[in-house]
Amino acid sequence: MEAAWAAAIVMFVALGSAIGEAWISTSAIKAMSRNPEMYSNLRTTLILGCGLTETTAIYSLVVAILIIFVL
Amino acid sequence: MIPVIYASDAFNERISHFMDFDISGEVYSSLIVMGIIVILAIIVGIQAHFHNPLKKTKGLLFLAETGVNFFDGQVEKMMGPKFKGFGGFVLAIAVYLFLAFIFGMTGLPSPMTDLAVPLSLGLTTFLMIHLTSVHFTHWKYFKRYVDPNPIFMPINLVSMWSPLISLSLRLFGNAIAGWVLMTILYSSLESLSAMIFTGLAAGLSSIWIAPIITPILHCYFDLFAGFIQTTVFIFFSMILIGQEGPQDIEQELSLRGGN
Repeated sequence: MEAAWAAAIVMFVALGSAIGEAWISTSAIKAMSRNPEMYSNLRTTLILGCGLTETTAIYSLVVAILIIFVL
Repeated sequence: MIPVIYASDAFNERISHFMDFDISGEVYSSLIVMGIIVILAIIVGIQAHFHNPLKKTKGLLFLAETGVNFFDGQVEKMMGPKFKGFGGFVLAIAVYLFLAFIFGMTGLPSPMTDLAVPLSLGLTTFLMIHLTSVHFTHWKYFKRYVDPNPIFMPINLVSMWSPLISLSLRLFGNAIAGWVLMTILYSSLESLSAMIFTGLAAGLSSIWIAPIITPILHCYFDLFAGFIQTTVFIFFSMILIGQEGPQDIEQELSLRGGN
């Protein structure tokens, strides 16, 4: 029973990851509108940045799964 | 719930205690992926040997040539001119990582869901970082631990391990997240299908709804996530290893002159 509460509290970390990715996408869209010829370069950097920012949220998911199924 | 035998569970059960070794089924999946890559490499080698260099390449040889050119260009751009022969290392890791991430779609256990496989990939990058640093700076390697001031040594010791933890746990976390979600989805869709088609025989009523909905999710969780994680891993590896080489001509001359 306490495991469910602990896993629910751990998943609040995903909030920061969502805000961070929205910020990255905003900057990417602004830069693309200013300089349309750099489109593919900016798109690669956008996807790469999103992949790095999601890492902390994935860590929290692994901890939540560990709390429910193992500990 | 009507029991359905998963191919991955049956594979795990039979092969985990093969010859009293107690190795999990995911490591055998990883070995199967390596076998596939070896067969592809032998085919490419034989085709390249018998190919006329003046004609255009087609098929698997064209893919191999594109990959080699692309990775040589990326290594040249991101790591500087001192890392000439590095494209092969990056290409090997990229091909193995992508195929291992996708392998869960075949029904056998996915290799990245066992922590041993992403940890070994992280360890190769970790060892390359430190060995490159020793290769270029010889005994001045130990200066990175006392860098501004010897008081900073605990912080520098911890920051030595952070690339390893972040690289391996990123791959493991993505694979586990996809696997848990797909397992929950498969079992709930089986129950739904068994409730709808109650007239049929015992094993045949639960297999009708899942194959319609899950391929779309496999597209995201396996193909898209595998592509992104491969890109992030090799980008990070190239940047971290490239930082250990001499950054500009003065640093290179000082390293050479000081020895």
